[in-house]
Amino acid sequence: MEMAVDTTKNPVPFEMAEFHGPEISKTYKTKVLGAIIKKSKRPLLVVGAELFDDPVMFDKAIEIGKTGIPIAATAHSIKGFIDRGYTENVYQIGFNPLANYLRFKDWMGLDGKGQYDTFILMGIFYKFASATFSALKNFNRDIRRISIDRYYHVSADMSFGNLAFKPDDYHAAVDEVIAVLKK
Amino acid sequence: MGKVEGSFTVEDMKNVQINIGAVIKEEEEWDQPMGPFPYPSIAKLRDWDFKLTDRYRIYYNPICDRCTLCTYGPCDLTGNKRGACGITQEGHQGKLVLLVVLIGCTAHCAHGRHLYHWCLDRFGDMPFDMGPEIDVDAPLTRTICGIKPKTIKDFGPVLSYIEEEVSQLLACCHTGQEASYRDFDSKALHAGMLDSLGKEVSDMIQIIAYDMPRGDPDAPLVEIGMGCLDKNKAIFITYGHNVAGAAESIFYAEENNLWDKVDIGGVCCTAIDNTRIGEGLGHPWIKKNLGTKVKVAGAMGWWRKMVRAGVMDCVMVDEQCVYCDVLEECSARKIPVIASNEKILLGLKDRTNDPADEIVDDLVNFKVPGVIVLDPIKAGEVGIRTAIAVKPERAEAQANIFLTEEEFNKHVEACTQCNSCAFVCPPHLKISNAMEEAAKGNLEPFSSTYEICVGCRRCEQVCPQDIPVLKCYAYANQEYIKNQKFKMRAGRGPVLDTEIRIVGAPLCLGTIPGIIALVGCANYPNGTKECYDMAREFARRGYIVITTGCMAMDMSLYTDEEGRTIWEEFPGAFDGGNVCNIGSCVANAHGHGAGIKVATIYAHRNERGNYDDIADYVLNKVGVCGIAWGAMSQKAASIATGFNRLGVPVVVEPHGVMYRRAYLGRTDVKEDWEIIDARDGSKVYCEPAPEHLLYVAETKEEAMLMLAKLCFRPSDNNAGRMIKLTHYCDINMKYFGQMPPDWPIYVRHASDLPLVYKDKMLKELEEKHDWKIDWKRKMILEGPIRPSEVAFDPTNIERKIRVRK
Ligand code: SF4
Ligand code: SF4
Ligand code: SF4
Repeated sequence: MEMAVDTTKNPVPFEMAEFHGPEISKTYKTKVLGAIIKKSKRPLLVVGAELFDDPVMFDKAIEIGKTGIPIAATAHSIKGFIDRGYTENVYQIGFNPLANYLRFKDWMGLDGKGQYDTFILMGIFYKFASATFSALKNFNRDIRRISIDRYYHVSADMSFGNLAFKPDDYHAAVDEVIAVLKK
Repeated sequence: MGKVEGSFTVEDMKNVQINIGAVIKEEEEWDQPMGPFPYPSIAKLRDWDFKLTDRYRIYYNPICDRCTLCTYGPCDLTGNKRGACGITQEGHQGKLVLLVVLIGCTAHCAHGRHLYHWCLDRFGDMPFDMGPEIDVDAPLTRTICGIKPKTIKDFGPVLSYIEEEVSQLLACCHTGQEASYRDFDSKALHAGMLDSLGKEVSDMIQIIAYDMPRGDPDAPLVEIGMGCLDKNKAIFITYGHNVAGAAESIFYAEENNLWDKVDIGGVCCTAIDNTRIGEGLGHPWIKKNLGTKVKVAGAMGWWRKMVRAGVMDCVMVDEQCVYCDVLEECSARKIPVIASNEKILLGLKDRTNDPADEIVDDLVNFKVPGVIVLDPIKAGEVGIRTAIAVKPERAEAQANIFLTEEEFNKHVEACTQCNSCAFVCPPHLKISNAMEEAAKGNLEPFSSTYEICVGCRRCEQVCPQDIPVLKCYAYANQEYIKNQKFKMRAGRGPVLDTEIRIVGAPLCLGTIPGIIALVGCANYPNGTKECYDMAREFARRGYIVITTGCMAMDMSLYTDEEGRTIWEEFPGAFDGGNVCNIGSCVANAHGHGAGIKVATIYAHRNERGNYDDIADYVLNKVGVCGIAWGAMSQKAASIATGFNRLGVPVVVEPHGVMYRRAYLGRTDVKEDWEIIDARDGSKVYCEPAPEHLLYVAETKEEAMLMLAKLCFRPSDNNAGRMIKLTHYCDINMKYFGQMPPDWPIYVRHASDLPLVYKDKMLKELEEKHDWKIDWKRKMILEGPIRPSEVAFDPTNIERKIRVRK
């Protein structure tokens, strides 16, 4: 498949001063990110209220959900899924308590089947998302941190470069990840 | 008569007099026995803190992974590595949290210390009289220090105690002192408690000295908004938190009949306190309701917008949340600045000892951009006289404050839509879009985002085209600025004992679903209207809504369908369905005070030197939750932490991650929710009520849901639990589109179920959760975490067990 969007460019944090320390995220091509997510055993997609600002992202999250990846819908974003009739493997939970659970190795996950190995994030207020990546980076390094957000996330392990002001490119990039997951 | 243990030393302290005779006399007059922890030092309440943090796990989100505090550094602590000194990332984060809370705490305490000296100098010692409806008159002072103040001077030892503790706590941050993050956090909780005490002292002193309301639900309505400042007069702005200098400017205007020549407006908490002057029990010489002559310009988040809106001729700053570029902003517009407090001197020359005439002359002729005048009386006089005299002198500068149409068009057309500004904008405004639309003649995006812009000026600093974004905002919003005229209820002060007698039982049983305490200042994630929306949602649901400071000001800027502000729509008592403006941010202490009073007045608990007992009562029995929305400063961190130690959960906005720490419960660990039944010492596994102690919410909707949820308490009776559960479910249905997934854990008995959902819920409990239901009697036979029991007496403190099984 032709990969149209270069997601490796522009690794600049959305709020310029968001540099946490020596360990910073690399940017990856959509194909690589997709393959890593696909290979993970216990992935969790975490989405938040910013999806309401760009509602097509709910449809994309649902597509990801349909590949078997459970979704944690933070803040009131669950409403976007309910409105679209998708309630299968999507869970309402606050982002803050979710992050707290994720740092404990003995947490059994939203489905009671065990802790997750891959945390995939999009659509959460930038500063909050960034700080949460940082919490996991520092306090539970067993979980891989992947951003498929429109922003470069410095404290993830793997991220897109900044696509904040290129909505078409961003949508295409997420579509490319979905295409890999569906393969 | 009991003997009072302990002693304290106060050296080199003006106006402080301590002798044991006085303390013994105190003991005679107060028959309540001294509790175990008067004037607690750092480690005294550690057991209580550990009880809290055993259950509410300390969660850190580092904002920086490095430490650079000593010459060994920088140390990379990523992944909880240790620094050269041996500290872990967790320990380092705990240290930073403690430092932040200490900064906030000292701001409040030092405010109180300044007022203490100044008020004794200005007014002499005055009786501490909270009026006929308040007997429990300084609840935090009584609870923490074990004393009952009789005059202003009695607060001296309280301030000395805070100062000593703060110095001990700050010492713990030195490299090589504390190592454990849990102990750092206990110390932060200690600093939070000291912060609450410092706030109480500050507000009590000013209430007495300036005759502010003693808990008046009908405190007067005062004018608020940029549009209420009369441009035909000189406009003098008092900006900050300490009313000393501002009050003198008001006295000066009054004594010299200058109200037809000058309008006094306030920004930030000084604004609220100005409007409280003279509304209490009467004062030897302050005129009744003098404060109502003063106007509130607005909350601190409006400051830079006000400067660009041309609403001031002269500014006096005092202390705390003052933007650090105040001098540059003002001098660019020929607005003289008077620094009136040692905490903010701005590099200016100290003119305190010069004649007022000379200082005014220098300011009016722009020989200097500002001066320091540390004598509040002189600062007040200089301020008013300068404002009046400078007004004609700065007419030209004033005329050029707004951009011309031509200038505005030039700027918006110069925008290249590069989005460098949006990259740094805290509320993520798409400024390029506003510029683009304005270039087409459409000012709507500039209008609709005016209240969302937090005025940080970061955009202007990064704009490659040097576009003055805030000036563009001001140009596009001139009509709004002119019409920003609203009413705000002046801060009423403490909660009355008589009010507590009415609400005590319904609060503890849950039939008043809770107290919602809103604080906040400038950094709203999505504009000021969210404060109004949240306050209104809870007042309409019958909660007691209390608010203070900039949050109270910001929620005044909206009206309902009938044109009423929130203060006109809802009454101002401490009761369900009311909205109370308690006062400025030091008046937050009355929120703590209300919790303590429920324990003492309604439940007859002894508060004296008995902090953990009272906090335990609040945590288990008083449905109260704080919210810091738009909270900006370190004071918000100390305020929240002070609430937390008293057992009050707090929700913060998404920017609140900058405080680095949350306290979050784990509902999957049953043992975390074990509680003692004080009747016989038996252990009970309880539902997670309240589930969290400090919680970062992503949106207003989530914040509201959490506020409702964090008002659950183990002591709720069935009717109370039903009411709380109704609001919790209803808010989730309204904003989330479904029932909250965890509602079953709050059900102990069928009568806990909201009537509207009862049958549906029973069915779901049976089908999805395997509960056993007796459908004939509509009763739950099996399923809940624990049965509901009317006499259940939940506590976390062993010494509260009455008879051991
Ligand atoms: S205080 Fe400790 S962690 Fe910080 S720089 Fe010094 S050695 Fe490193
Ligand atoms: S001043 Fe307003 S528009 Fe500019 S960055 Fe700050 S919040 Fe955004
Ligand atoms: S930084 Fe300046 S030029 Fe660039 S989009 Fe913002 S206002 Fe326009």
